[in-house]
Amino acid sequence: MSKFLCIQRSLPGGNDDGPSPTQMQEMYAKFGAWQKKFKENLVDMGGKLGAGRLVTVEPMPDGPFVEIKELVGGYMIVSAKNLEEAIMVARECPGLVGPGSGVEVIEIHTP
Amino acid sequence: MSASQLVENFFRHEYGRLVSTLVRRVGVKNIEVVEDSVQSALMTALEIWKVAELPNNPSAWLFRVAHNELMGELRQRTRRRRILTLNAVNNFGAPENGPELFLTGEVQDDLLRMLFVCCNEGIPAQSQLVLALKTLCGFDIREISHRLFISEENAYKRLSRARNRLRELPPYFDELAGEHYQSRLPAVRKIIYLLFTEGYLSSHAEMAIRRELCSEAKRLATILAEHPVGQDAETFALLALIYLHSARMTARQDASGGLLLLEEQNRNLWDQEEIKIGLMWLAKSAQGNVYSRYHAEAGIAAEHCLAPSFHKTRWESVVECYMLLERIEPSPIHKLNCAIAIAEWKGSAAGLAVLEGLEPPTWLAGSYMWSAVLADLHRRCGHTQEANQYQKLAFNLAPTPAIKELLQRRFQSISSISSISSIQMICHD
Repeated sequence: MSKFLCIQRSLPGGNDDGPSPTQMQEMYAKFGAWQKKFKENLVDMGGKLGAGRLVTVEPMPDGPFVEIKELVGGYMIVSAKNLEEAIMVARECPGLVGPGSGVEVIEIHTP
Repeated sequence: MSASQLVENFFRHEYGRLVSTLVRRVGVKNIEVVEDSVQSALMTALEIWKVAELPNNPSAWLFRVAHNELMGELRQRTRRRRILTLNAVNNFGAPENGPELFLTGEVQDDLLRMLFVCCNEGIPAQSQLVLALKTLCGFDIREISHRLFISEENAYKRLSRARNRLRELPPYFDELAGEHYQSRLPAVRKIIYLLFTEGYLSSHAEMAIRRELCSEAKRLATILAEHPVGQDAETFALLALIYLHSARMTARQDASGGLLLLEEQNRNLWDQEEIKIGLMWLAKSAQGNVYSRYHAEAGIAAEHCLAPSFHKTRWESVVECYMLLERIEPSPIHKLNCAIAIAEWKGSAAGLAVLEGLEPPTWLAGSYMWSAVLADLHRRCGHTQEANQYQKLAFNLAPTPAIKELLQRRFQSISSISSISSIQMICHD
């Protein structure tokens, strides 16, 4: 089994107002079911990502990273046979893939 | 964690509770900041509860988060504007205003208080309804427009009108005094009634959605009936009316969602438990010297609930209730309903006589109901020409396929002398 890093990204065209309380309840319920279903695959539920800064030898302007901070929502780590399976797990996660939100799935190579 | 750990509508009802409680603390003019803070607290909860255990007391947890968020936002605003208003920061953070004062009894009071705030005399009734659905029931604009069959734009306009009005109020004007509770009580009842009829009568929504509006009305009416402020005969009658109608709700539709005539309904499907509760409230409403429209309507609903069959309905009692209703709140729609009941009681000619010479107002003449009833009564009196004419008209005016289908069935079976009183024709004005 390989591990995959899933990064949530905001995409243009999202709902600015956010979900309504009714939708939140649905998301909560669906999320519970999803978590149960993929218990084996979920290595680290991760969390939200806060502020960050790129560290280099040269001092870097803060510029582009402001954007990244706003675009990236959170991360989690799943284990799966291959990229396709990891994508399937991420795709079924409620609220992760939908209008205005997508997920980037990256394999983590460990020696 | 599992979804079952949170009760149905937890997020939506928490929204209403939190908004009500926080608005009381910081004033209604801050209602938008309050709503944003509550929304944000719910989002935080969703994020955290998904991965961590639910807190022991989710409501208290939410209140703390929303309260902190709100205080932070208000402090920031005050600092930005350098304005200290009466309602703003000066007394926040004092122990007596702290989150620990989140008590269940207080929450019921706050919800009720918010209901009265929504019913401000300066806000048109339709805007009051939207405001109540937003702040007390936790629906968003899209959901409200979907439930009231209005455009999102229209729903938003109504909400803005209400909010603007609330914002114009001088500080502390929203401190409701005893006389406000008294003077606004009729408006509060009316808004609950409106909420219920929107859910009960709308023919083109999904059943689940209509049920939701009805149960919201039931929830608010119950809070009102259990609080000293709203405890009177009229409120009890309203609650009786809500229960007695909602008991029959399931039976009003067939398996595919089509509407059923009262005669066609399976009376075994009527919810006996709800009928029992409805009758209990009806009994409680029989006190004092006010006989309101809610009494009359609850009385009619009770007659139907108690009738062992369509043909054994005590039509004379139904007619009597309609007569009283017409006297309390004259409306051609009551006359129309009364004519149907009289036709069942004394024959179709007698029913038709009630409507003779009655010039319906445009809204009623333009509704399928008026034409459908006249088509029905004329047919049963043997007036083929008039019957055909009205039948065609009713058909063209039918707003939905479900109603068209209902009329079709009704007109086809007309020979088997029955009535269309089943198309619940209590009209909300």
